[in-house]
Amino acid sequence: MRYHTRDSSFFAVVAALVVLSSVLASAPKSSAIPAFSRKYQTSCTTCHNNYPELNDFGEAFKKNGFKFPKDDETFVKEPPVLLGSKAQKEAFPGAVYPGEIPGFLPIAFRYEGNFTLNRKQPAGFITQTGFTPRTDLFAPNTFTIISAGSFGQNLSFWIDDDISVDAANASGAMGDGWLKYSDLGHGIGLPKNALNVRFGQFELDLPFTQAKTIYLSPYDIYSQTNLGPTGTTTNNPVIFGSAQRGIEFGGTPNNGNFDWSVAVINGSNAGDAARSSKDVYVRLSQRFNLERDPESRNAIQAAGPTGPRDHTSIRLGFYYYHGKNEQNQDGTTFPGILTTVEEPFYRVGGDLRFKYRHLELFGLAMYGHDDNHLFTAGPPATIAAAPAVKFSGGFAGANYWFYPWLIGTFHYDAVNSHADFINGAPASEHQTRNRFSPGFQILARANIKIVGEYQYTFGQPYSDPVTGNTLFFRPNTFQAGIDYVF
Amino acid sequence: MSLVKIAAKGVAVGLTLALVSVVKANEIKGKVSVQGIKSAENIAVYVDVIPDKKFDAPKDPVVVDQRKMAFVPHVVAAQQGTTVEFLNSDSVGHNVYWPSISGNKKLAHNLGTWPKGEKKPFQFNDVGVASLLCNVHPEMSGYVVVTPTPYFAVTDKDGNFEIKNIPAGKYTLKTWSEDGKPTTQAVDVSGATASVELTVKK
Repeated sequence: MRYHTRDSSFFAVVAALVVLSSVLASAPKSSAIPAFSRKYQTSCTTCHNNYPELNDFGEAFKKNGFKFPKDDETFVKEPPVLLGSKAQKEAFPGAVYPGEIPGFLPIAFRYEGNFTLNRKQPAGFITQTGFTPRTDLFAPNTFTIISAGSFGQNLSFWIDDDISVDAANASGAMGDGWLKYSDLGHGIGLPKNALNVRFGQFELDLPFTQAKTIYLSPYDIYSQTNLGPTGTTTNNPVIFGSAQRGIEFGGTPNNGNFDWSVAVINGSNAGDAARSSKDVYVRLSQRFNLERDPESRNAIQAAGPTGPRDHTSIRLGFYYYHGKNEQNQDGTTFPGILTTVEEPFYRVGGDLRFKYRHLELFGLAMYGHDDNHLFTAGPPATIAAAPAVKFSGGFAGANYWFYPWLIGTFHYDAVNSHADFINGAPASEHQTRNRFSPGFQILARANIKIVGEYQYTFGQPYSDPVTGNTLFFRPNTFQAGIDYVF
Repeated sequence: MSLVKIAAKGVAVGLTLALVSVVKANEIKGKVSVQGIKSAENIAVYVDVIPDKKFDAPKDPVVVDQRKMAFVPHVVAAQQGTTVEFLNSDSVGHNVYWPSISGNKKLAHNLGTWPKGEKKPFQFNDVGVASLLCNVHPEMSGYVVVTPTPYFAVTDKDGNFEIKNIPAGKYTLKTWSEDGKPTTQAVDVSGATASVELTVKK
């Protein structure tokens, strides 16, 4: 039986943060798809104003199963290979239902390498957390293979895998790998794409994607796990921003303005199931198109005297995640040889995105709640309900396109973690882990990007080696990198 | 009818015939060869400014289509003052703009974006070349070559061209191509058909 002390709990939290940072640093990141550029002989900028973030047209393309929203066949420059003639539909079930595969191998690659400049660490901080070099060249150093496309009218697929991260031959991991059937409700008269289904491993239908983020740093709230105080059982490893395995039903009716999705997932991040129960994720969002001109409002992209752009719009969303962990009495996660206890948990929140010409504003709020239990070793050992472990936080940010190739970025991340506070000394100077991250992105070409981001982080406590007093140090970081896809 | 009157009529008919022969439409036929360029297609060939000669702007517009995410035709030549109508035949929005006319950025223009089936006109009053671009689909490319005279043509895939209805005279023939340097060549249109061989180099 393991007992936490105040100090060890604190270091456990810090260690968890460090581990999380490293996990997120190596989390697979999907990207733009040059395979589609080849298929349609079009530039990346058709779907991305700043890859891998999708513009309005890219969103419509994705929601339509990686096809142009209208008259797709007329735009395809690389015709598909038919797996049976279309007329074979009439022979079904006496024949295999006809399908198709891309006429070329839909493979694309992405490389990302960053230069990192860290703030000089004080001696006490090094003693406590370990030494971090001032500079690090090309870390992470990631090579990703991506394949995506469609298998005919209704089927689409996506696979991305970091085949090398950091060191030579070091394995990364699969990000997403799924198959989607679009427009399942067509036969029962539902509007186009009102009901789709997706199977496999996928990032949840998050309000703001982590896998396809344009930023060098992750959204902190997405990586928040939940850890109960000393002697309690909560030790929830679910990472909101991680890929999950499961089945997702969803739809984008009303010209893509309304989005809904319900996913049933393992709740084990990208790993195998570790418990019998399944988690459920629900997301609803509505976009309010603020274009005055009705023609622009209904078009895939907004028209304007200076050329097309994303619609002036506001999207409001809601999400809810529910799961049930099964914890061992000693706080270790998932069933073992000890008595276990069920601990339901949920994450709930809302989001907002506002687009106006060259400006994009966004924000997300999240509240997390985990049931918790207090274990007493005994004998006899007892277990009783304990105060829930909670956290809250979110992020807000803005992007501005000074030119189509020069984008200023900013995001602010905040996490108020109950677990941080109750596990010994606070993990932040002001009881909030927060970070300001201004940055820039330069599209040297449509497929080559130079990025930079300064991360002004929260003050982390450490003991002065001479006086023993608690001091705070901000391990601020500047990162710059190159990112290209082909 | 007196002999004098008959003679006068004969002279008048003769003069009329002579005048007709003077303004009789001739043509320039030619072939453009290329060096260091992939194709001799889509090269504009036109008669340069004719001193003391002015031409009315054409009444009929020229249409440039946007079809399957391409400007069709890729190169269009048009006399100064011509109205070019830009049609969108695609079911995606297209934008048409040109950042300059022959490098003069003051003549840049953005026509905006419009949906399928609609046209937007623009009258090209400045001689030069407008590089047509679409800021939705950067791979789209087209050219409007605005010429000072109504005597122009665009080469076919073999580099052949014909400039019809040109009065007899001595002219300066010029070329414009997407990848090659401009070429200038004198041409004497005295017979019904003047044959020209031009070479455009990269």
